[in-house]
Amino acid sequence: MRALGWAYMTAIFIFIFLPVVVLVLFSFQDSRLPVPPFDGPTLKWYAEVLADRGMMEALRNSLVVALISASAALLLGFFAAQGLARVRLPGSILMRGLLIAPMTVSYLIIALGLLTVFNTLGFRPSLWTTGIGHVVINLPLCFAILFAAMGDHQKNAERAARDLGASDMQVLFLVTAPMLKPALLAAFFLSVTFSWDEFIIAFLLTRFDVTLPVEIWSMLRSGLSPATNAIGSLVFLVSIVILILLELIVFRKSKS
Amino acid sequence: MTANVSLQSVSHSFGSFQALNDINLEFSAGEFVVLLGPSGCGKSTLLFILGGFLTPTSGQVLIGGRDMSRVAAKDRPTTTVFQDYALFPHMTLRDNVAFGLRMRGLGKAKRCLKADEILDLVGLVDKASRKPHELSGGQRQRVALARALAVEPEVLLLDEPLGALDLKLRRQMQEELKAIQRKIGTTFVHVTHDQEEAMAIADRIAVMNHGKVEHAAPPEEVYLRPKTLFSANFMGDLNMIPERFMGRPAGANIVHAARPENIGTSGDISLGDATLEDAAFFGTYHRCHFRAADADRTAYVAHLPVGALPQIGEAVPLYASKPLTLGTEV
Repeated sequence: MRALGWAYMTAIFIFIFLPVVVLVLFSFQDSRLPVPPFDGPTLKWYAEVLADRGMMEALRNSLVVALISASAALLLGFFAAQGLARVRLPGSILMRGLLIAPMTVSYLIIALGLLTVFNTLGFRPSLWTTGIGHVVINLPLCFAILFAAMGDHQKNAERAARDLGASDMQVLFLVTAPMLKPALLAAFFLSVTFSWDEFIIAFLLTRFDVTLPVEIWSMLRSGLSPATNAIGSLVFLVSIVILILLELIVFRKSKS
Repeated sequence: MTANVSLQSVSHSFGSFQALNDINLEFSAGEFVVLLGPSGCGKSTLLFILGGFLTPTSGQVLIGGRDMSRVAAKDRPTTTVFQDYALFPHMTLRDNVAFGLRMRGLGKAKRCLKADEILDLVGLVDKASRKPHELSGGQRQRVALARALAVEPEVLLLDEPLGALDLKLRRQMQEELKAIQRKIGTTFVHVTHDQEEAMAIADRIAVMNHGKVEHAAPPEEVYLRPKTLFSANFMGDLNMIPERFMGRPAGANIVHAARPENIGTSGDISLGDATLEDAAFFGTYHRCHFRAADADRTAYVAHLPVGALPQIGEAVPLYASKPLTLGTEV
């Protein structure tokens, strides 16, 4: 029974990590195709990728879009959560539902909707429109995380701050936000990773300046190469770094 | 800093529920007032109206002679010690206590100095750089008190501040609260449902029930000469005296009763024979349960002096003295 458990766990981990391991392994492939057999390690594909100006520009674009769209989503989600948690409004349950609803809609549908809207308004596809698209998908996430983190405990501390003479803005920035710091950081980092990885919206809403996933896609169309594995490994590395940061900064602190 | 408080015809409703019904109370400056009553009697609602967290449906609140009915909590000369303390978990004790001074624009050096002074008053100055989660319940309670006192309020409001502490610590904190109040002279308004706590600390007790004040008077008077059946019952054990023993016709809505210490084997009013059913020793008295031999089988609780205990099952003539005359309505 115990052996079966171990076998099951091993199988699960192989299932989850085999594609990643293969991806990373063949980024070091010393021949022209990322397929077995493995011909010995080389870093030349990384050198090629890092020297590719289009690729590096796309990487920078991705970072900028991720940071700005995540900040916007976080700020809007925070205000929405604070408002709906503190003020009793008619239809607040409905509003909460509407705010979270975009999570259930496929990115493709959201992208098509945005494309239509931007076309009608005369906005050209660009990194800005992609950023707006990423705010649309990340705002519900930020709202849900922050709304769930706001409890009575917090409400009472805010009341005490007001009792001691704090204005609404002071309450927000000296009490509410610091108390929500773990949730704020979690929401921000998750939004950054989602925006960083996102392809469909970025594909439909960019034209000349593109984000990294779109650049990788156009690279893939010209055939498989260990260079795509190398850039894939780099993207994976960035995501892992963000996750580790999240674990170290947010979850370890919130435990104490 | 201290001020008198005047509540004039204050009423408050939550929807169709009348939480407060025409409250008229006057607190003198420097008085320690306790609002006492069972849960749901409106005592916390009244405290929140004083603090500015609720606007009364009708009536006026005057603090130091100024009408506060439309003044927001942050602009009132009141601060509150909340039931759950509501400390700021991300700040040190010093920053917690200095928060109100910071909001009043006091510089960092000055407010830290002042915060340490107040922390010293509650005996926590050595822990000024700690955070609230490192403290025990009693210590958190003191920080909440220090934080509320730091801004020198004219009236300090306390919402069941000792409710979460164990009995021994609660008794100790009652004495400390009373001592601090004497020292600084601020008007304290303290909400509790614990009548022993009320008697221990109050200059004046306002007994509340169903959104009304049943009796507002010093503890001795509320205990010894209660106005209503409710406040008499809430302040301690009570024996109802059947009206036929009183020797005169009872008025409408009037009943007579006696405290357990005024029931005994001698006294002014004969209650007929009663059987001792059960007794317990409390150090300074025996607490005895009697059952009358008459048709009503009336139950009496008596505190008999040590050494004067009849046998269990023995029937003795029972007497009451110092009967209380109580109204059944306010």
